[in-house]
Order: sequence, then C-alpha cells, then structure tokens
Amino acid sequence: MDFINMIILGCAIVTFIPRLIPALFIDKLNFSPKVDKFLNLIPYTALAALICPGVLTVDESMWYIGLIGAIVAAILSWKKVPLGAIVILTVIILIIVYSVVPLMIL
Amino acid sequence: MSKKEKFIKGSKMAIPIAFGYIPMGIGYAAIAIQAGMNPIQTISMSFLVYAGAGQIIAASMLGSGAGLLAIVLTNFVVNLRYFVMSTCVLNKVEESNLGLNILSGHLTVDESFAMFSLSENNNIWSYIGLGLTAWLSWCFGAAIGVVVLDFLPVIVANSFNISLYALFVAILIPAIKENRQITILVLVTAILNILLSQFIGNWSLIVSTLIGAIIGMYIVDDEYLLLGEV
Repeated sequence: MDFINMIILGCAIVTFIPRLIPALFIDKLNFSPKVDKFLNLIPYTALAALICPGVLTVDESMWYIGLIGAIVAAILSWKKVPLGAIVILTVIILIIVYSVVPLMIL
Repeated sequence: MSKKEKFIKGSKMAIPIAFGYIPMGIGYAAIAIQAGMNPIQTISMSFLVYAGAGQIIAASMLGSGAGLLAIVLTNFVVNLRYFVMSTCVLNKVEESNLGLNILSGHLTVDESFAMFSLSENNNIWSYIGLGLTAWLSWCFGAAIGVVVLDFLPVIVANSFNISLYALFVAILIPAIKENRQITILVLVTAILNILLSQFIGNWSLIVSTLIGAIIGMYIVDDEYLLLGEV
C-alpha cells in the first residue's frame, strides 16, 4: 500500500478509537455525582487549555497578534455580540492590525 | 420540536464553526499538498481522520520526512483528548442509541464539543446536526484548498488563523462571566498548560484539562455547575 495511504489509515484508526470507546460504554455506566461534576468541569478546563498558550502561536513571528485577537473576541463576547459576528469582526480587526503594523515599524 | 427541527437548530449552531473551518481547511490542504499528498488523499484525510491540529501535524511531519510510526503515534497523543470530549458529550445528551453515539463520536472535535457542552441544548439530533455541518465544512475547506491553493493573500490567511480561537474565547466568556470560582479555575488551568507544555509537549493539553477538572472538584461549588439542566 502507498505510504501516504497508510499514514491516513493509521491516523484515522488511532483518532477514531478514543472517540469510539465512550460511545460503546456510556450506556452501561452510571456516573456518581462526583464523576458527573468532574465531567461538567471538563468543558471549562479544556477551553482554557485550548486557548492558552495556543492563541499566542496564531502568527509564529508575532505572538501579540493572537493576544490582540483574543482580547477583541473577549470584549465583543462580554458585550453580548452574537457568536458568528464575534468571529467575523475579530478576523476583520486582525486584517486591519496586519495592515497597520508594517506602517508602525517603518 | 421534531427531530428534523432539532437537527436544523444544531446545524445553525455550526455556522460560526464553519466560518473558521473553511479557511483552516484551505491552510491544511496547502501543507498537505506541499508534503506530497495528492488531492484525493488530502480530502479523504479530512473526511476519515477529521482532526484539525492532528492532520496539520501529520502533514507537516510527512513533509519533513518522519516515519509512519512517529506520525501515527503523535496523532494518537494529540487526539487522545477526544476520548474525554466524547465522554462529556455523551454524558450530556438524552435519548440516544448506539448508532448515534458512534456517529457523534466521529463528529466530536474541540469546536463541536465546546459549543455543545456550554449550550443549553442536550439533544442528540442537535449535536449530530452541529457535528455533521462542521465536519462537511472542514472537508469542503480542504476541497477548496486543493483547487485554489495560495489564492488567499498571506495577511488574510493569517487573520483567519484567529477565527477558531475567537470562537473558543466567545464560548468561554459568557460561561465564566458571572462565576468567580470557574474564572479562577480557567486561569489556573491556562497557567498549568503553559507550564506543562514546556515539559511534556503534546501531552500537556489533555493532562492539564484533566488536572484542572480535578482541581475544580475542590474549588467550584456544586451550585455553580448548572450545565444540562435546561
């Protein structure tokens, strides 16, 4: 088999297994209130870990680009702007920042 | 609401995700093609693997000459978090069955998990609608990528890199805004992940997520967690 096809197949299998196991066993499990609380906290901690420090690598050469984007998104979200609009506005603001940064350096 | 209406409601929740996935899919396709993958392979990887960061890492490793075992093992480590996320989603949904559970497992990625977990929706059909729409937009992005490679100017492409982070921040802020205990937990976990990533690399995401949740069991009062009760 082609080397690249083997990579795709291998990655597909090792990615699917962790997704499959909960699907097979979730109905047989009855989580205690403690485990339930643990699982309810996961979305918050996972998001924290996904954002930090990854957001600082949005642009490998300028770490503050990601920080600016995160602050913009946080402010818009605080002001209760709808989700789709937050994503679009943040991108637009970064395009503006990118256009201004070279002017400031020169 | 009928199943169909719940499905459509979920699909609509995926619109902000799709807005980030299409340009990110194009970016992935650019790396994949450069690494020597053909267009069919590039798109089928998005379809079969469906793991944003995992695919980009695999394509970059392929491009730099890494071996099969190294690439597959790295993917396993990077994508192990889906085990935790899939468990959370399935623990939240109601009236599901094995077939739907398996399909929703494949559709579980950071964005679908985060958006669904912190929403008031706990219907499996909404999650399937949300997940399918996101999945197809990710594949669609790869398909556009192989056709119109390098079409996006660098500034625009870089600016789109922020979109998924903007989404994460926008999901998180309303959930923590009125809750000081969870805000502290989020900050503690973020700092933990920054520190751990220096030492254990790709493992840090899942390790700090789990340690963070354990810490949370002690510092967050039960009444602050009202997820899935609507």
